[in-house]
Amino acid sequence: MALLLKTTKFIESQIDAFLDIVSDSATLFHLAMEDYLKDRIGQFEERLSQIRENEQKADDLRVGIERFLYERTLIPENRGDVLAILENTDEVIDNIKDSILQFSIEMPQIPEELDDLWMQTTRASVNAVDQLTFAVRSFFRDLPAVNNYIHKVYFFEREADQIGEKLRRHIFSLDIELSRKSQLRFFAIHIEKISDYAQAVCDRLAIYAIKRQL
Amino acid sequence: MIFVYLISGLFLGWSLGANDTGNIFGAAVETRMLRFKKAALIAAIFISLGAILEGSGPSQTLGRLGSVDALGGAFTVALSAAAAITVMVRFRIPVSTSQTIVGAIIGWNFFSGRLTDYNSLLTIASSWVIAFVLSAAIAALLFYIFRARINKSKMHLLEQDFYTRNALILVGAFGAYSLGANNIANVVGVFVPVTPFKDLSIGGLFVLDGVQQLYILGAMSIVVGIYTYSKKVMRTVGRDLLHLSPMTALIALLAEAIVLFLFASRWLYNTLLALGLPTIPLVPVSSTQVIVGAVVGIGLVKGGKNLKLNILSKISLGWIVAPLMAFLFSFIALFIFQNVFEQEVRKDLRYSFNSVTISELRARDIKVDPLSLVNGRSFNSEMEVYRQLKETHGYSREEMFEVLSVVEVYPLKVNSSLLYDKGLQKRFSPDQLESVKSLEDKSYRYKWRLKQALSGKPGWNFIEDPATEQERNHNTQLEAALSILYRSFYFIES
Repeated sequence: MALLLKTTKFIESQIDAFLDIVSDSATLFHLAMEDYLKDRIGQFEERLSQIRENEQKADDLRVGIERFLYERTLIPENRGDVLAILENTDEVIDNIKDSILQFSIEMPQIPEELDDLWMQTTRASVNAVDQLTFAVRSFFRDLPAVNNYIHKVYFFEREADQIGEKLRRHIFSLDIELSRKSQLRFFAIHIEKISDYAQAVCDRLAIYAIKRQL
Repeated sequence: MIFVYLISGLFLGWSLGANDTGNIFGAAVETRMLRFKKAALIAAIFISLGAILEGSGPSQTLGRLGSVDALGGAFTVALSAAAAITVMVRFRIPVSTSQTIVGAIIGWNFFSGRLTDYNSLLTIASSWVIAFVLSAAIAALLFYIFRARINKSKMHLLEQDFYTRNALILVGAFGAYSLGANNIANVVGVFVPVTPFKDLSIGGLFVLDGVQQLYILGAMSIVVGIYTYSKKVMRTVGRDLLHLSPMTALIALLAEAIVLFLFASRWLYNTLLALGLPTIPLVPVSSTQVIVGAVVGIGLVKGGKNLKLNILSKISLGWIVAPLMAFLFSFIALFIFQNVFEQEVRKDLRYSFNSVTISELRARDIKVDPLSLVNGRSFNSEMEVYRQLKETHGYSREEMFEVLSVVEVYPLKVNSSLLYDKGLQKRFSPDQLESVKSLEDKSYRYKWRLKQALSGKPGWNFIEDPATEQERNHNTQLEAALSILYRSFYFIES
């Protein structure tokens, strides 16, 4: 039986590896933000290159999984949904990479008094992505649990929105140039967007989970 | 001429392949778990294996309903049933092949003045309803069990896919095997005693006898039906009635297999009997009705909203229309075939009341006093006898059939070489054959005379008043063997 299940197990491991990368990328984003705020720029750049590598690996894995599913006509009923989930989740990594890359290019000066709110927003977004990976894993293995994780993603997305709003209000209350305020607002929104992407994937996932129910 | 007659059997095989394969693989193909070509290949292999390895002789299942006694009649009945099935398949309505054949046979009964056994018809008809409801209930139950198990097992979607796909193939292959074994008799069974094929040696490795070659031909016609026309019905079963997922497709297929097993398993019947529990009648049920019942059962437990009631009513209407259409086709075709093409569509049997038959009736404890009016008279059809006896005497329908079986003149001359010519000797034990040979060249005017002559001889021990199912089964087997002798040894009296 193990021999017969070889292909199945292989694709399962590929999907798990893909989700591991998504989760790792979210953690790397969190660490990169800490490094940036603590002026550890060298370490920050290292995180960026790790996230870039992850993005590449995730793309390769996703394409490989898609090809396998189509070539072997596996899960015909759910194939389209699974591919959509993988593609949308992949966009979350792209978004994480774009945010960090933008920091690396523009190197915005973040006043120290924003550090706490900045990290809180980052944590909420990263948690949303983490819960998203749990939700996607559950979609494959434990369908009734999907809704719990989706609920948590929504919770962290709202959290990121609320703290993000506080952060932006704080930015515009600072005595700095308007152009700098604008730039910082742009970066704050970028961080919030990560949780928005996670939520968008969950919106679809909720529908796919209903479709998958027996 | 036999080859021309055979064409209608093959046409019936083709329509059966087109209609019934949808019941087995429709759901799997429409959920895209199996490609059509792969499903067709599996169906082709297993239907052929079932037909060749386990196909029985002339159809027993339809009992007295299936007593078409002339090749021309069998040709027309098969042609009419096949035409009715084809019309329904054209409209993408899965119908029951057995029911359609029953419709055509009743058409023959009417045309030939034969009495239709309404008791058999009623038993079969009620089993159709019971099978539909039972299948829906089993599918609903399986649905709950599967859902609970899947949620508990936390199996990966891909592993579920793997197991579901293979289970669909396995259950489908089993279904195809049973379909071949049970239905080949409907397709070519009637031609068994007159098979035109001689033994064929395959490279000196093994020999295919005439009957096996006939079955292979029948199986091939089913296979052609699968490849050329089964897609339409597959869509109705697998998609139009209710959008099935692979897992629900498997549940429907399993429910179908269980119900067909319940109604066909002699072992289960005997076990229930031995335990003193109520038994399930061993009657042929329609795989079409069973699979549609299963799909409806799943649709209902899912809330019933996705169930397409217009399709369901179309299918239900088809189940009434198909046998009626076959009945009409059969009646009209028999008339044309007999009067325009001047072919024999029924044997011109006579029913004779004389001292021999009346003493036999007396021996069977049938009241003979009312028969004094018909003593010495002959009738040309069962209906004539029926009308005569019904008008004047109070025989029950059961007794009427008993009377008919005794008074039917059916000249037989024992000629065992006829059995060897057609490869039919393989259907008898060596003891049975020896007993038949011991009666070589003897003639009998009635079927029961030959039976009496054989009774008690080695291999022909009928059990009087069988008490157990095994004993009843023993007698049924002997009756089946006898029916081959009747068909083979019949001759027209000059």
